[in-house]
Amino acid sequence: MFSGNYRTALRRLRSSKWLSTLTMFGIVVGIVSVITTVSLGEGIKRQVLKQSGHIGSNLLTIRPGKIVQRDKNGSITKVNPALAYGFGNGSLSEDDIKVVHKTGGVKDVSPLSLLNSGVSSGSDRYDDSFILGTDYLFPQMVQQKVEFGSYFSTGEENRQVAVIGKRVAEQLFKENVPIGQSLTIRGQDFIVRGVFDEFGSTTIGQGIDLNKAVFVPRTMLNEVAKGSTQLVQILIRPDNLDQTPKVMNDLTANLAKAHGGQHDITILRQDENVMVTNDMLTLLTGFVASIAAISLLVGGIGIMNIMLVSISERTHEIGIRKAVGATNRQIRNQFMAEAIVLSLAGGIVGVVVSFFVNYMLRITTNFHPFITWQVVVIAAGVSIAVGIVFGTIPAIKAARKDPIEALRTGGF
Amino acid sequence: MPLISLKDVSKLYGFGDATTVALDEVSLDVEAGEFVAIMGPSGSGKSTLMNIIGLLDRPTHGEYTLSKRSVAKLRPNQRAKVRRDRIGFVFQAFNLLPKLNVLDNVALPLVYKGITPVKRLKRAAAVLERVGMSDRQYFMPRALSGGQIQRAAIARALVNDPQIIIADEPTGNLDSSASLVVMELLSELHRTGNTILMVTHNPELTRYADRVVYMHDGGIVHDQRTPLGEVPDMASRAMYLFPRRTEEDDLAGVSAMMETLPDKTIGKPKKRRAVRKTKRTTTRTTKRRTK
Repeated sequence: MFSGNYRTALRRLRSSKWLSTLTMFGIVVGIVSVITTVSLGEGIKRQVLKQSGHIGSNLLTIRPGKIVQRDKNGSITKVNPALAYGFGNGSLSEDDIKVVHKTGGVKDVSPLSLLNSGVSSGSDRYDDSFILGTDYLFPQMVQQKVEFGSYFSTGEENRQVAVIGKRVAEQLFKENVPIGQSLTIRGQDFIVRGVFDEFGSTTIGQGIDLNKAVFVPRTMLNEVAKGSTQLVQILIRPDNLDQTPKVMNDLTANLAKAHGGQHDITILRQDENVMVTNDMLTLLTGFVASIAAISLLVGGIGIMNIMLVSISERTHEIGIRKAVGATNRQIRNQFMAEAIVLSLAGGIVGVVVSFFVNYMLRITTNFHPFITWQVVVIAAGVSIAVGIVFGTIPAIKAARKDPIEALRTGGF
Repeated sequence: MPLISLKDVSKLYGFGDATTVALDEVSLDVEAGEFVAIMGPSGSGKSTLMNIIGLLDRPTHGEYTLSKRSVAKLRPNQRAKVRRDRIGFVFQAFNLLPKLNVLDNVALPLVYKGITPVKRLKRAAAVLERVGMSDRQYFMPRALSGGQIQRAAIARALVNDPQIIIADEPTGNLDSSASLVVMELLSELHRTGNTILMVTHNPELTRYADRVVYMHDGGIVHDQRTPLGEVPDMASRAMYLFPRRTEEDDLAGVSAMMETLPDKTIGKPKKRRAVRKTKRTTTRTTKRRTK
């Protein structure tokens, strides 16, 4: 009985192709936008995970602001996504570097200072970039290779040299290996002596694209920029991996003491960094997906609209069906089936189109969106739900029609 | 105990001052196996009576017993099931679904009975054979002539083996030769024991019936048994005997209304007359529209 309804519904959809296609369009758009945003988020998450395995989990980063809350065991209970994105500012100072150095169990310390400034070379400008003051330890901290040239070493803290990310080379110098060229920061020339390999998207935090960065010795940068720089992160490697929790505790305690008892900095392990990033991504993806879901709602209303039109057009048919013995429930099921078939068909087309969009994104952009089977199942489920929700009112309306009134209208 | 028994059945539309009386305390008993022809001018309540007997409509007042069971208190679903299993409708406007082929149309009542597709198509094909339409099974209704459509409609009415066939002017849209085929079919059903109620305007067709009922203004004015094959005198004169409405009648009705309008304290009989006239005019306009 019920399967018969679906067969009839399919036949009806086929008989009015234009109408069905246009009605389905709303659902298709909704499903495609939801699946695409979720798969983009998923793709980025997967890249992040790959990246973190590459860096190793014994890297600690100290970042300004209270990004996470921890319970007694040190596990993260709550993330503040607004602070987790990009570089934070304030609350870290040069004194903190000394505190970190004095803390026991710390092997390497590499502070990062930020100067938010574009760079120029002759008459060319590149405004998307930012300048990071670091020291010789930075590449080994984040385990990143310098692809061309070399990084500055211990004795070069006071030289005006720079190592640049790939984007800077491409955008500013319009060549891959601009070694020996000079770029200008605050009126001072720096000689390019190295170009980094391509950085992963979340090497030291979400929203920071190190491919756009210019790396210069920190002491030199502080001198050139004279107080405009910000200490944004301190990268730390403890003596050995087993010590990490103790080092974290000690650092937290020492820094809190230095800040007058205030916990206004955050120390994150690399894997936690990933977790924070993922948390943030989930939130962001959820937010964008829910905006995309509004188009699903609109699509659903489109279906309801078409069903209402269809029912008033087919009043006569309803009358005939009732006259030959259809019960209200049978009429209702028939129209429900039609709405569900319509929205489910939209959902299926939407999934197919999403895979296509996914493929196009992979070959035309740097994103690597990934469609999980869960998303597909949820999309199918949601489209059925939309059919049920928005098919109910029209179907009930159809079922309640008075047979005589219905027979009297229209006809052929 | 008769198969169909109506006792003082009335059907009113609207309420208050706008009430119109479609059926006025009609009592009618129909025995199983009777072929009843119902005649009367348009607006006399024939169709309303058919709809009530066919359980498409509920009476406002009165008792309706269908094979010893009072159907007044049946819920809509139960009424639908009674329609499905015991009553077959044949309409003047055929009322096949235009998007289904003849076979599917005929099988439609079986769909609602929950019979499997193969079984129901087989049964539909058998019934189509009975009405001489087996070579048109896969035609769409629009590809058929009126007579063929009506035969398909009769097949649909028969597919559930109903006791009662209700035919509301089954030949109203057919030419005389197609009418003849349809009437022969109904007559054959009658011979095989079906109870048939047929509304008609054509006195000639009453020769197939063994009982003729005349209606006027929502009431039964005459009820006679006639031998099969004979047209009763009443029937051929019916069109002349009973007052027919003309354009003058309509105008008179309107002016009667106009008279009553300004004066709010009208006497009862005058008001009733005015009301009646309005009712007739409205039913007539709807009739026209459906045609």
